[in-house]
Amino acid sequence: MVSGGNASSLPLVGGKPEPTIKELSSPGRRASNFPKLDVPEVKINHESLKKEKARLPEVSEHDLVMHYSRLAHRNFAVDLGFYPLGSCTMKYNPRFADSIASDSRFANMHPSMPEEFTQGCLKVMYEIGNYLCEITGMDYASFQPPAGASGELTGLLIIKKYLEINNLTNKTEIIVPDSAHGTNPASARMAGFTVVEVETDDRGMVNIEKLKDIVNENTAGLMLTNPNTGGLFEEEILTISQIIHNAGGLLYYDGANLNAIVGTSRPGDMGFDIVHSNLHKTFATPHGGGGPGSGPVAVKEFLKEYLPGPIVQNKDRKYNWYQPENSIGRMHGYHGNFLVTLRALVYMKLLGKEGLDTLGAYAVLNARYLSSKVSKIIPLAYDEPCMHEFVTSVKDLKKSHKIKAYDVGKALLDKGFHSPTIYFPLIVPEALMFEPTETQSKETLDDLADSLKIIISDLQQEDIVLEDYPKNLPVGRPNELIPAKFLTVNWGDFELLEITE
Amino acid sequence: MFIPHSELDLKKMFDELSINSLDDLFTHIPDALLLENGLDLPESLSELESIDYFNDIAARNKSELVCFAGGGHYDVYLPQTVKSLTMRPEFMTSYTPYQAEISQGILQVLFEFQSLVCDLTDMELANASLYDGATSIAEAISVAINKTKRDDVIISSGFNPNSKEVINTLIDKNKFNLNYVDLDNYLFPTDYDFDESQAAFVVSYPHYEGSCQDLTELVTKAKDKGIVTICYVDPSMLGVLTTPGQMGFDIIVAEGQSLGSPLSFGGPTVGWFATKKEFARLVPGRLIGESRDKDGNKSYVMTLRAREQDIRREKASSNICTNQTLNAIGSAIHLSWLGPEGLYDMGYHSIQKANYMKKSLIKNGYVIPNDDSSLREFLLEVKTNASEVINKMGDKGFLAGIYYDDKHVLVAVTEKRKKTEIDSYIEALQEIDNG
Repeated sequence: MVSGGNASSLPLVGGKPEPTIKELSSPGRRASNFPKLDVPEVKINHESLKKEKARLPEVSEHDLVMHYSRLAHRNFAVDLGFYPLGSCTMKYNPRFADSIASDSRFANMHPSMPEEFTQGCLKVMYEIGNYLCEITGMDYASFQPPAGASGELTGLLIIKKYLEINNLTNKTEIIVPDSAHGTNPASARMAGFTVVEVETDDRGMVNIEKLKDIVNENTAGLMLTNPNTGGLFEEEILTISQIIHNAGGLLYYDGANLNAIVGTSRPGDMGFDIVHSNLHKTFATPHGGGGPGSGPVAVKEFLKEYLPGPIVQNKDRKYNWYQPENSIGRMHGYHGNFLVTLRALVYMKLLGKEGLDTLGAYAVLNARYLSSKVSKIIPLAYDEPCMHEFVTSVKDLKKSHKIKAYDVGKALLDKGFHSPTIYFPLIVPEALMFEPTETQSKETLDDLADSLKIIISDLQQEDIVLEDYPKNLPVGRPNELIPAKFLTVNWGDFELLEITE
Repeated sequence: MFIPHSELDLKKMFDELSINSLDDLFTHIPDALLLENGLDLPESLSELESIDYFNDIAARNKSELVCFAGGGHYDVYLPQTVKSLTMRPEFMTSYTPYQAEISQGILQVLFEFQSLVCDLTDMELANASLYDGATSIAEAISVAINKTKRDDVIISSGFNPNSKEVINTLIDKNKFNLNYVDLDNYLFPTDYDFDESQAAFVVSYPHYEGSCQDLTELVTKAKDKGIVTICYVDPSMLGVLTTPGQMGFDIIVAEGQSLGSPLSFGGPTVGWFATKKEFARLVPGRLIGESRDKDGNKSYVMTLRAREQDIRREKASSNICTNQTLNAIGSAIHLSWLGPEGLYDMGYHSIQKANYMKKSLIKNGYVIPNDDSSLREFLLEVKTNASEVINKMGDKGFLAGIYYDDKHVLVAVTEKRKKTEIDSYIEALQEIDNG
């Protein structure tokens, strides 16, 4: 029996599956209401108008609100618990930013308005540009890229255009560490470059000798995070940047790990020419279940004219749009994810110099502390002081007890925590990567370490079935083969499958 | 203020690590790279002070203007239900649903979103969102190029100029030819000859200028030549318009702002992408599938992950990772709130109101060059200069539309506009636009 008032899908009340909004639909119901038509109604003939109504659910507003609220109850979130998710920086998202971002004086602005009408929005972008450039050690920024991957592509297109304008089109190779996030090589290829991987050494850092071997006259640039994806600071970064610059290449900083160094060190001072930042990581804008993010790109002065345009400038005490001369072009239909940018500015204003100066230090303190605790349970991948995150490996447990990183992550879910990032970086077998962020308390970190100890011990028991974990959630592990094989991606697809199978 | 560490915590943590200060955490970083005096930035503001600070900034926006601008982003009524539910922290502050067992909420809403998009457009498979309308067009073109292995792309010139700029940025001009086809009297020429060198036929429905046409025959002709047909649709008009699926398109993309997101100065909004199942393995972005757990419970999970950048790396055909999930959730809730009748009302009222406005303008001596073919949005020929008209109308309390060229303003009328607002607009226009 499907009914809109049935709450048994809620883990608290029964644990039944939640029906879809389509299953809740009943002909003749509607939630919406509109004012009566206030213009004289006339017959409009047009070849594109259809006779039938759209296929959409028919539900009452209460049924609709109950359905989506119950679905909300079936989801983990930063506001509910700890995400030790490496490389994702799942810190607290200040509630206060919600009120500014939903202020209709920002939220209801049409993007095509002339600049005289949008001085407030332009000021937001100008101000945050100044903050971001000071934090990263850069000179100019564009806020068009709507996510980190788009920021990466922007950076690479800037490199490409720069090489074109300077008649260096022989430079077609982008060097990427073998530990890099998958978006790095994907973005490089999209920008038309050849990807060359550089190995990581035993300490977990870029192998300088191998880098020297790889770099040649065709080197266009290097993409790097610092700290790298192993959570380690690239101590030889000044040498690395010298090697790349001497070959006429540019250095691109992937801001995925910027949180570690805010207030302590700056990519610009390390020799990076282009930086993208993930505002949804470092600057505390909510992840939204997978977006919206924001991936602004900041560059050194000599690359200003290549930025995606227009960018905001302040001239004669007015803010206006400036179109860079050699702009790579637009990366977004309008001004990027403006409300996300606004939220990040709110965060920066609330933290100010005091908060931003120590931001990275507290993030590193928490990670270093957690790594000290966790390393007593699972070995670290690298015996080096970590920055804001660290990588462990359960390869020995896999050998001895068939326990995979995946299993540890799933068992942890039962204990009220999100899983750490698993199988990343790819170069560490059975990797579990932890990033606590600065907003979690010591007790939470202790609790996670204690829980990890318990599950590692539990999973080694003889009578255990690893696939049974997690046990306390609305569903167990979904069969991943069914949707991949039968494309059950639309409602009705699965039912159809059961009939024909 | 968001740091929980007390002095006592710090002491215990320092002891565990055998250090004496935060600075001791960074002894392995070369001295030359450590900031000596921190960042050169203003002091922090309390929440209370921030309210004043952002009030001052917000007041500089002319946000009170009655909006007659569109071009892909429309001032439609966004119900409180959508605003409240998308602000729920379980949706807003959660991560990408890689851990399916604790992410069934987000996964199911996204599955519903995909299904709603398919139902609304008459397609078979939709992804879980892309960045925005403009970037979605470029992603669709990439799919067509990959599918056909051809180099020429036929694009209608009836697109928002910004979208064209995005396409020009994201499609490599050294490898592929982007051929923009001029509209003929604001419609795509029905006698256009396609040929077998072409990868994609890309067209906006309605066209940017607001004109709308039945594209069925063009789609059939293009498909006969093995061309992938791509429709950029205004989804909030699909309560009244024939669907792209009915016209036979292979791929539909859309700017989804008008379903579930406020105008937001252009972002965050959401890009929609839907297609036929034969294209499944070329689809960019995330895809949610329905499955069962070992006890037979219905469960949802991200699927066809092998297409994505974190697995395929440099062989991936798209680098998209973070998308616009929260806005997609907004679209699903808004569509469910509207239902078939609500979406119809939204489209029907806007067409009626736009028609009333066009006829009133014509009665008052104005020319609407695409009166016959346009529906909710149309070109208004001004007597003076379009940019001046928009500026002066701002003083009268109206966002008159979007600058199209010196002689034309692109005007959109949503269901939200009242007759009194339309009448005052025309009155104000006559005062300031004296040719």
